Amino acid sequence: MAATEGDQFLKQATGRNTRGLLRVIILCLIAGAAVSSRLFSVIRFESIIHEFDPWFNFRATKYLVQNGFYSFWDWFDDRTWHPLGRVTGGTLYPGLMVTSGVIYHLLRFLTLPVDIRNICVLLAPAFSGLTALATYLLTSEMVTSPSAGLLAAAFMGITPGYISRSVAGSYDNEAIAIFLLVFTFFLWIKAVKNGSVFWGALTALFYGYMVSAWGGYVFITNLLPLHAFVLICMGRYSPRLYVSYTSWYALGTLASMQIPFVGFLPIRSSEHMSALGVFGLLQIVAFVEFVRVQLPSKQFQTLLRALVVLIFVVSFGGLVLLTVTGVIAPWTGRFYSLWDTGYAKIHIPIIASVSEHQPTAWPAFFFDLSMMIWLFPAGVYMCFRSLTDEQVFIVIYAVLASYFAGVMVRLMLTLTPIVCVASAIAFSQILDTYLDVKTPKAESNENGTSDPAKVAASAILPDSLRSTRNPLVGIYSYASKLTVVGASAVYLMLFVLHCTWVTSNAYSSPSVVLASRLPDGSQHIIDDYREAYYWLRQNTADNAKIMSWWDYGYQIGGMADRPTLVDNNTWNNTHIATVGKAMSSREEVSYPIMRQHEVDYVLVVFGGLLGYSGDDINKFLWMVRIAEGIWPDEVKERNFFTPRGEYRVDDEATPTMRNSLMYKMSYYNYNSLFPAGQAQDRVRGSRLPAEGPQLSTIEEAFTSENWIIRIYKVKDLDNFGRDHQSAGAFDKGHKKKRASKRKGARVLRVE
Amino acid sequence: MRWFQLLAASALPFLALAAKKPSGDRFNDNRSKALSSGAALKLDDQSYAQLTKAPRDYAVAVLLTALETRFGCTLCREFQPEWELLAKSWVKGDKNAQSRLLFGTLDFVDGKNTFQSLMLQTAPILLYFHPTVGPNAKADAQPVKFEFTQGPQTAEQIHQWISRQVPADVPKPAISRPINWLKIISVTTAILGVVTLFAVAAPYLVPVLQNRNLWAAFSLIAVLLFTSGHMFNHIRKVPYVSGDGKGGISYFAGGFSNQFGLESQIVAAMYGVLSFATISLALKVPRIKDARAQQFAVFLWSGVLLCMYSFLLSVFRMKNGGYTFWLPPF
Repeated sequence: MAATEGDQFLKQATGRNTRGLLRVIILCLIAGAAVSSRLFSVIRFESIIHEFDPWFNFRATKYLVQNGFYSFWDWFDDRTWHPLGRVTGGTLYPGLMVTSGVIYHLLRFLTLPVDIRNICVLLAPAFSGLTALATYLLTSEMVTSPSAGLLAAAFMGITPGYISRSVAGSYDNEAIAIFLLVFTFFLWIKAVKNGSVFWGALTALFYGYMVSAWGGYVFITNLLPLHAFVLICMGRYSPRLYVSYTSWYALGTLASMQIPFVGFLPIRSSEHMSALGVFGLLQIVAFVEFVRVQLPSKQFQTLLRALVVLIFVVSFGGLVLLTVTGVIAPWTGRFYSLWDTGYAKIHIPIIASVSEHQPTAWPAFFFDLSMMIWLFPAGVYMCFRSLTDEQVFIVIYAVLASYFAGVMVRLMLTLTPIVCVASAIAFSQILDTYLDVKTPKAESNENGTSDPAKVAASAILPDSLRSTRNPLVGIYSYASKLTVVGASAVYLMLFVLHCTWVTSNAYSSPSVVLASRLPDGSQHIIDDYREAYYWLRQNTADNAKIMSWWDYGYQIGGMADRPTLVDNNTWNNTHIATVGKAMSSREEVSYPIMRQHEVDYVLVVFGGLLGYSGDDINKFLWMVRIAEGIWPDEVKERNFFTPRGEYRVDDEATPTMRNSLMYKMSYYNYNSLFPAGQAQDRVRGSRLPAEGPQLSTIEEAFTSENWIIRIYKVKDLDNFGRDHQSAGAFDKGHKKKRASKRKGARVLRVE
Repeated sequence: MRWFQLLAASALPFLALAAKKPSGDRFNDNRSKALSSGAALKLDDQSYAQLTKAPRDYAVAVLLTALETRFGCTLCREFQPEWELLAKSWVKGDKNAQSRLLFGTLDFVDGKNTFQSLMLQTAPILLYFHPTVGPNAKADAQPVKFEFTQGPQTAEQIHQWISRQVPADVPKPAISRPINWLKIISVTTAILGVVTLFAVAAPYLVPVLQNRNLWAAFSLIAVLLFTSGHMFNHIRKVPYVSGDGKGGISYFAGGFSNQFGLESQIVAAMYGVLSFATISLALKVPRIKDARAQQFAVFLWSGVLLCMYSFLLSVFRMKNGGYTFWLPPF
């Protein structure tokens, strides 16, 4: 806005330089706002890594910094997935860790000794500043109005849809990937506009960086070919397109294959086949165009066109055939579930169990994008006005990304950049129109156009949009200008308030440390997770194996530094199902499983005392479901529901539920906190049975301050070879159950 | 003691009936019956009891169902063809009867007493009776129950379940689905028809396809649908609208991550109105030549924008209790 106002005053010779300087200053301010709005959690809590996955990334980064790049590349981690281990170096996207490693060494080189943890914590905010810059560049390529780019950068800087994944401490792949996504798109647009190998190669370079950073690179791999394909279908093939696409595809594919985790996937899996197909199509189209210029015969042209279609159909059929015969891997489950939305629920419960993979209800869209959600369609509509090659890109991106964001909450992240760009286009169009000081003279057709290019465009393109058929006149009265500009300012202010509020309330909690309010309004920190993890670190053997549900695997590895059975890298469903079975079965079944996996401690999360709803009893059904997928005869989801189909933990809980290891571990000794018969679960809101569960094969080792984390030690085999139930009964002084009744009558020994 | 004699005498014919069919033959009899009919055995109370009688050297899988429309069991009717397919492929495929497994269907109309004695409240239910004598006998005489809690099942899923019940070393005949020629032919015809139609109508269709307004409308509708949570409705199968418990209709579902079908359409309409107002302000209003008309249009669209946005915020406050921002008038 400031830049557009500046435009009016600075039309003189020095105007260009001054405007450039203003733009740089505004961009710096936007970057500053972007960074600072992500620091809520650092200020409120401390400089700490958040959530789950970031803990693994942090651990991997530490490994990289300590052991160097090559040993990181070959890293085999024997402290996860016990007893299998994980080829970590070959199964991760190394971009994030390498980036922080490079920054770390650069700062050391500049004699700035910064702790690697602080680099990791602040990496995402730092890159969000760069994302704002990339959004500015991308938007500036799309429209002529200079204010649109600045608005888009400001939107991108503070929109909660992006902040949700890039607050300080959220050290995840998305932290750098969104910057790379937007910047790659900018380079691609630049390449298509100029038709230069240089920009195409740069696109490929950043595409390669993106591949090394995030699995979402497949979005680019499919969006760029789609853009090229649509352009061909619109009859807009040009040598520019040919040069940019082929240079991107050839170099980008080579670059992506350098990542061990990706390897030969670009030529062997269905997700990448559209890029290959469009590459082939472009060669044919280029050849036909070349021949057509040489031989201007009408029939021959028709023949060539038919040839293009025929080759396309045949190669498409070949692709399908190769997929069916198994040469090309079919769609992997995670991607396939985006199209067939019921697929994951039936076949891959582990994907369906993650809350990020749930479909998005409308409040989530408004929550993350606020006012932009309705500016977005308007911006897309405006792209149809002149519909240049790059504006086609906006339309395709908008439709596809809205679909993906609707299917999966997590993919809101890929939608956010295009929403910012499109809404900035719409909003700057309004501002440019109504902030024009010049007033047209009444009853005259020609003068007072704020943008002569638009008039020219609408004159050249006769089949323009319905709403832009008439020539542009301008705004006559100051009252209307004032109304619209005033309302826009109010909306913008409201947008800023909304973003700040959402960021502060929803996205700035580290989820490792919880905050609550005391009755007097002061903040109370609940630090049970770290308390328990440090207990593990200090009180258990260095290689004590910890069994927990996979959600906590990375945290245990990162904070407690102990080997785990399963973690958030859910590559082995059977192993996870094994843990699920151990948790959901009777002690007699679970104990041999735990012994076989050398489990020393079991960790459960219990929120009943505090009313913390993200605990294991609420996740329990997923454990049951995943275990049932592997052992349908031994674990049955139905048995955990009462005959009336309710999931209960009180007196009416089913016997299977009450005998499951998870239930026992959660509620063991819990009623000792309450007067007799008064034990209350504050999450499920139900009164617990008067008699608490009894444990025989494991014993309580640690319970955190608010009972959120409970750790149990798996007992060793009994010294006398008894099973633990009878040993426990003996210790309590119960008489051993006599098995002698069946022995029959006593007989005198005669020998 | 006369009544006792009478009873004994009346029981005699049944005894004779039972004696006529030696128990070792029950399997072969029923199997040949199933083979000739090419489907699962159709049972009633009596034949069900006879088939599942205790000393039994074969296994039985019985589907208890309610097919008639008046019971309103859509699940039963949906599953029935799959069940017939499974029974047919199993009986046909198991040439030497190695699995010693029979398939039966008991409809509620024919087997009210059985349903009562099993105390069944729901249908369909699949029971699997293990053999009680012979090499594969199980100690537990109770049948294994499969409940259709997860909705309609395919023949393959039930095949998997039954395969787990029969002994591991017995070959399990695979399901052979008949090729659906009708579908193949109709799809091919439809594709060819569309291609022909396109070829014939191309001169008229191409201008329509190249119409920018059409594509713009299409893209905008898609964007509005997706951003208003249509995919959520589709995946979660939410109710279209629901009552508020006082006889009225509640248009908006409570809770942040919950919505009704109608609700998402209302929201899409609100977004549409807001976008349209924006487009009008940005593109249409500056093209109005008459100054007064333009003034009026600016105020009109600004008013629409303000009211709609205010209403949207008020709806959002309803969904998210802690949200504090608002605009006049709502």
